Formats: sequence, C-alpha cells, structure tokens
Amino acid sequence: MFIESALNVKNQKVQGLFKALFMMMTILLVLPVLIILGTLIYKGGSVISLDFLFSDPTNGMTAGGIFPALVGTVWLVALALMISVPLGVAAAIYLSEYAGDNWFTRFINLAIINLAGVPSIVHALFGVGAFVIFFGFGTSILAASLTLAIMTLPIVIVATRESLQAVPMAFREACWNMGATRWQTIRRIVLPNSISGILTGVILEVSRTTGETAPIMFTGAAFFLPFLPQGVFDQTMAMSLHLFVVSTQVPGVPEALPYGVALVLIAMVLIMNSISIAFRMYLRGQKKW
Amino acid sequence: MNLKQFVMILVTVSAACGVNAADRTVIQNKGSDTLVNVAQAWAEKYRDVDASVAVAVSGGGSGTGIAAMINGTVDIANASRKMKKKELKNAKKKGQNPMEHVVGYDALAVFINSANPANQLSFNQLKDIYIRDGKATKWSDLGLKVPGCGSDKIVVVSRQNNSGTYAYFKKAVLGKRGKFRQGTLDMHGSKDVVDLVEKTPCAIGYSGLAYATDHIKMACISKEDGGDCVNPSVKTASDRSYPVARPLFMYTNGEPQGAIKKYMDWIKSDAGQCILSDKGYAPMRDVSCK
Repeated sequence: MFIESALNVKNQKVQGLFKALFMMMTILLVLPVLIILGTLIYKGGSVISLDFLFSDPTNGMTAGGIFPALVGTVWLVALALMISVPLGVAAAIYLSEYAGDNWFTRFINLAIINLAGVPSIVHALFGVGAFVIFFGFGTSILAASLTLAIMTLPIVIVATRESLQAVPMAFREACWNMGATRWQTIRRIVLPNSISGILTGVILEVSRTTGETAPIMFTGAAFFLPFLPQGVFDQTMAMSLHLFVVSTQVPGVPEALPYGVALVLIAMVLIMNSISIAFRMYLRGQKKW
Repeated sequence: MNLKQFVMILVTVSAACGVNAADRTVIQNKGSDTLVNVAQAWAEKYRDVDASVAVAVSGGGSGTGIAAMINGTVDIANASRKMKKKELKNAKKKGQNPMEHVVGYDALAVFINSANPANQLSFNQLKDIYIRDGKATKWSDLGLKVPGCGSDKIVVVSRQNNSGTYAYFKKAVLGKRGKFRQGTLDMHGSKDVVDLVEKTPCAIGYSGLAYATDHIKMACISKEDGGDCVNPSVKTASDRSYPVARPLFMYTNGEPQGAIKKYMDWIKSDAGQCILSDKGYAPMRDVSCK
C-alpha cells in the first residue's frame, strides 16, 4: 500500500498553495475590468438611450447626444482598416513567404518592432507633419486615418506573419510538388488556412484604433462639428476625443454624461470584437486540420 | 476583401468628396481653450443661421491656433492673447496675412477654495504668491488661516505655457519680465484649474470667469493693497473696471471673404455677442439680450 511520505505531503501542500496563488492572480486580472464596466454602467447607464446615440450634442455639449462622434469614429476606424490591412497583410506575406533570411529582411523586422514601440503622440506629430502639412490633406479624416493606420501597421504585420508561419510547411511543399507557383500556393493554401490569425490582428487593431485620442487630436478630430462627415477630406468628431472634451474641457457637464460616452465607446469595441471573434470561430470550424 | 472591392470603395469615397465640396463650406476654427466653449456655442447656433456652412471647432490653446494660422491649416484662429511680432513675421514668411478681430472680453478670475476665508486679494499679494521666489509661500504669510489646509502651504496652480491665459496673467500680474514661481502645478485647461482648486483647500488658481462654478470662490481684486476691490463679472469686464480683463481675439487670413466674412459678421452682431455673454464672457459693446 502506498503511504504518503513527509515529502509527498509537503509537495502536495506547496502544489495547493501555488494553485491558489495563481488563481488569485487571475481573478485580480479580471477584477479591474469588472470594476470599470460596473462603474460605467452604474454611473453612465442612465444617459444611454436611442436618443442619446442618434442626436447631436446641444447646449454647449452639456446635453443631447453623441451621433456625430459615433459616426466619426466609424469612419476613422473603417478607413484606417482599409489602409492598414491590405498594406500589412501584403508586407507580412512578403516577409513570411518570399523574403530570404538576409540583412535586409532582418532590418525590416527590426523597423517593424520599433514602429510598434513608438508612442502614439509621436505618431500624431508625424501625422501632422507628413499628412496634414506636407501632403496637404489638411486636418481631415484621411490624415487621421493614415496616422492611425501607420500606428497600427505593426499589429497587423506581426499577427499576419505569425499566422502565416503557423501553416505547416508540408502544405506548401505538397502544393509546390503539384506544380503550383508560389503565388498560387499562397492564394489557395496559405491564406485560407491563416485567415483566423489575420483576423486576430484586425480585432486588436480595431480596439486600439477606436480608443486612440492623441493621433487624431491634431490630424482630424474636431472639438465640435455638428455635421456628419461626407468624405475623407472632412474633419469629424470622434468618440475618444469627445470623451476627453466632455470630461476635462467643458464646464457644467452633468456627471453621468462622460460615463455614458465612455460606456458607448467600450460597448463599440466590445461589439466589433465580438463580431470578429464569432467570424473567427466560424472560420476555425471550417479548418480541416 | 479583394483588390476589386477595395478599389470600388476608394472610388465611392472619392466620389462622395466631390459632392461634398459643392454643397457645404467648412470653416476651420482652432485655438484658445478659453474661447473654445464660446466658439463651440457659436458653431452650434450658426447651424440655424446658415445650414450650408459647417464650423469645425478645435481647442488646444492660443499657441496651437496661432501656429495653425501660421501654417495655413485653419480659417479662423482663436487666441486669448495678441499674436507676437515674431509670430506675425513667421506668418508673413509663409504667405499668411493674419488679421486681428476683437470678439469680446474675458475677466480672468482668481479662484480659491470655498473654505478659504480670503475675500480680497491685491495685485501685490498675487505677485507675492505667483512670482519666482515671491514672499508668500504660506497662507499665514497673507494673514490667513484656511480651514482644511493643514500644511498652510499655498498650492499654486497655473497653466501650461502655450496658453494665452498663462501669457496674459504673467504680463498683467508679474509684469513684463516677471517669471512664474518654480513648482507651480501647470494644468492643461481652464476647467482642470477650477476642478483642482475646488477640491484642494490650500490651492489658488486663475482662469476665465466663464469656468466658475457654484462650489468655488472668486477673489475680489484690488490694484492697491487695501484699496477698493472689484469682483469679476461680465459687467465689470465690459466696463473695464475689473483689472484683469483681456480682449479675446479671432484671427483670419487677410480680410475675411465669403462664408468666413458672414460668420465673423454674425459673431460681432447682437445675436453672436449675446451667445458670448450667455457663456460668461463680456461682449465687445453694450448689447441687450433677453
């Protein structure tokens, strides 16, 4: 019969201790999220209504809704995605499928990593210098989205490259042996098998782009603009900047309003993420390996 | 998304821009945080006057607006101080010709916590508090005991240095060559100053009168020690009896034309000036508003 030695008992205890410790850490991680969401719903839930979502701010932005900011953020995020996803995916395909392991590739990889480390306010200043002034786009959705796109390019590139590399080499080799070209292999085998990973990058990018304030503050977002943008050369209001404005710049804002704006902002990100996560799960289900 | 769809979207988007250019004029308006709320109110109300004009308002500080005017990225720059000679020169160099419009006056209120027993502050006392190595570092130096302020130390609140409010206060209270005390809390916006002083018994700060709330006290300001003091209000700023009142400016590139001229004229009209007065600023002339 097996009798527990003193060492066994001690090991069991230590094991239990560490399990409890790590579980506590995990709960601690979730706690801030729950507290933030709880506070926002408790303090800002009362202002949320269809009218709040679909009307213009009035009375010096202390009343009314957030519609122009909501639409503006959708414009900014959509255009930023349109720019950075094709660019980023193309770059990742080149780096993962075509480029050899030489100093040039390593240099590009280093540049991408560094780009990811640049603070958003520096991207903002770059955006002002390059897009607003040099290219002459003015303060516009185009300039702001380009700035956001450049800021989030590394996310897309890195996520795409990882998911391309996760496709087993044997798939490619089998394809090449059938006489397919590299592009045919990428188009028919590699991309379909890595689409869920690419989507993960896009999800991350959407969340980041929606919340960023600094890069759009100088390049395209307005303090107040009660019209919906009609083209990429218009300025626009945006949710993140609107939140900053109503919580720090405007006197006499009712306390619930900033919380309401924050709640809508978070809900937007959560909804967009959920849609892409659902889509990703569907695609994963289609995978045959 | 494949390439064809992407090109299609680009085409649609650029087509949308073409339409837009024809049917709506956008006026870019940027600058002073002091003016940003009244600029916003003007933009909001101007929709009812001329729906074909959209006014895009941004803040950032007088310096931001003036820099944008120099770079030619705005139509109207808001400033709570005059453009400096150097800035005018830079603007000329870049082919801009800034033209100044006074659109109203602003009383700069000195804010203290509602627990602070002080009622009246003289220019000299303010200078002692704010100037570099000034005499007053404790409230007791001014003969005051502030309840709730255990340390007795004056928490001096100021603004970031590209603010027009900062520049005007410096010139008016510290004199041309005066420098601010080191270790002031420089806030990034008028409302931040008011919020901080509201919550901090030891604090003193300055901001436009329009940012005053019911939970904060404004000092009555006198030019001489022990002299008659004047409370900040729209009226005392209008008749220039309040000693720390400043003009508010809007700059246009050259003589305003077309939609910009119409907008500027409307701002200076009774309707525009009443909105300004309603926001807690002093109109440029006597207007009767309901």
